[in-house]
Amino acid sequence: MFTNMETPMTDEKQRAPLTIPIKIAQKTIEPPHVGENKIEFRDYSFYYGKFKALGNISLQIPPNQITAIIGPSGCGKSTLLRSINRMNDLVPNVRTEGQIILSGEDIIGPSADVVDVRRRVGMVFQRPNPFPKSIYDNVAYGPRLYGISHRQGLDEIVYNALRQAALWDEVKDKLRQSAMALSGGQQQRLCIARALAVEPEVILMDEPASALDPVATLKIEELMQTLKESYTIIIVTHNMQQAARVSDFTAFMMIDSPQTRTGVMVEYGPTTQIFTNPKNKQTEDYITGRFG
Amino acid sequence: MSSGTNVWLGTSTKQLIQSRTGYRRRKFTNRIMLTVTALFTLAALAILFWIIIYVVIKGLQYLNLDFFIHLPRPLGMPGGGVLNAIEGTIILTILASLFAVIPGILAAYYVAYNPNTPLGIAVRFGTDVLSGVPSIIIGLFCYALIVKYQGHYSALAGSIALAIIMLPTIIRTTEEMIKLVPHSLREGSLALGSPEWKTAVSVSLPAASQGIITGILLGIARASGETAPLLFTALGNDNYEVGKIIKAGLANHKGIFAILGSIVTQPVDSLPLTLWKYAQQPYPERINQSWAAALVLLIFVLSLNIFTRIWVQVRANRMQGK
Repeated sequence: MFTNMETPMTDEKQRAPLTIPIKIAQKTIEPPHVGENKIEFRDYSFYYGKFKALGNISLQIPPNQITAIIGPSGCGKSTLLRSINRMNDLVPNVRTEGQIILSGEDIIGPSADVVDVRRRVGMVFQRPNPFPKSIYDNVAYGPRLYGISHRQGLDEIVYNALRQAALWDEVKDKLRQSAMALSGGQQQRLCIARALAVEPEVILMDEPASALDPVATLKIEELMQTLKESYTIIIVTHNMQQAARVSDFTAFMMIDSPQTRTGVMVEYGPTTQIFTNPKNKQTEDYITGRFG
Repeated sequence: MSSGTNVWLGTSTKQLIQSRTGYRRRKFTNRIMLTVTALFTLAALAILFWIIIYVVIKGLQYLNLDFFIHLPRPLGMPGGGVLNAIEGTIILTILASLFAVIPGILAAYYVAYNPNTPLGIAVRFGTDVLSGVPSIIIGLFCYALIVKYQGHYSALAGSIALAIIMLPTIIRTTEEMIKLVPHSLREGSLALGSPEWKTAVSVSLPAASQGIITGILLGIARASGETAPLLFTALGNDNYEVGKIIKAGLANHKGIFAILGSIVTQPVDSLPLTLWKYAQQPYPERINQSWAAALVLLIFVLSLNIFTRIWVQVRANRMQGK
């Protein structure tokens, strides 16, 4: 399914939602309705101590689509992304308000199990961060964590994950070698395979290609197109061309004022609309490069 | 360069920069300073090699197989060795490592990830102070704490004193090494749903393992050369022979723990202790053996150091897939 990439198909998919928003996008943040929402932010606010980093975010992210979060530096894109798999829990003195709903379940309430949330929401980081282990052990790390220990099962999971991450052919003869010997782009695809191995529903990508060269970046972007058939992908990127190229929906964030520096959602809609016909003046200024 | 535009430069400065004499003077000064620094570097190295060569020359001639396999003989009798001291050093080092390594790594892990909590600050400050405490005071402390309580000197007391000496080295090195592990590696593991302890055991600590092992081996190298704390704790024992203790234990049908117990609860000797005792005696054969003991100790510590460094380099290369 990933070997023969059909470009016309992706074109169609990018074009398809175009007709929906025009009718509904009169209000600033009307969510696009494509099936049921995979993730829903409900009036979500986030505080580092007293500093309100995210203010009253409401956002509905459709399944099996790529949603890009763009915005100037320091507007809270990464904080928003890392809220979805509770990585912000690692920072001391943080506090949240509102809800984040993943497939109908609140994932930040007291009843939510962080481990389960993180299994269901995989993450790929800015710099490739393979563990200093063999390629095989990197991919098997997650499954082993969840108690899969028999050899055959692991082999199969590793094979599937590497196939899905379009890395299998390059590494099949050196699964026992150190992952650190791979190139940057291969390492990043390995990290994607590692995330896929625990069968997540959502994959978060925090500027996954910013440390890669153009060829490796292209591979990651192609991979995203195949992965979205099975997963919901949310990507934070500084690169607006990348957002325009890969995403189906785009969310534009900004700080509300230089004094409070709280990140707010300015505009959210299908990528084609955000980039060709933004409703908000600030969005337009940003994507045309007038600031940021 | 045209000089007309640089009006803000004083004439003298400009001349100095442009004149050949200024250039020559700077070149000359540079050469002098480079020579001076090189000379002092050589001087520092020369002392190291002087010590090594001197000890080798003095010690090598008295080194023989007997030295390693026999207990000391009474004065006047030829031959004899320092088997008791060699075995004692090994026992002390192993025990001290057992006591120091696990607590040291755990403390370092806590400090590395909680550097600004009151406890973290206290531990870091405490280890710095501890590494500066004279080792004889640590010996005295263990004397008061263990030897007085037990009523006799023992390998146990000696190894606890050595463990206290090793602890700061292990904690500080391990902490630095854990801090060097990229934060993203830890996040990568946690993002897969791994609990903190699992992340520590299977990602953070293995990634820092080379540095941690370096720290442990350097701690061992330091502790195994200590004399002062052992004066109060291990005391010395001319008849200490692990083989004999085990044989006697087996003959009396003692269990393994009883035998191990009698190995560690006796006073033991160590190489630096033997060196110190023999070197003060007025008998040439003792002094000669003292030189031989110095050589063995030097080789042990040096080879531990060199082996550590080579091993770390090899592992680093393997990790990078070279």
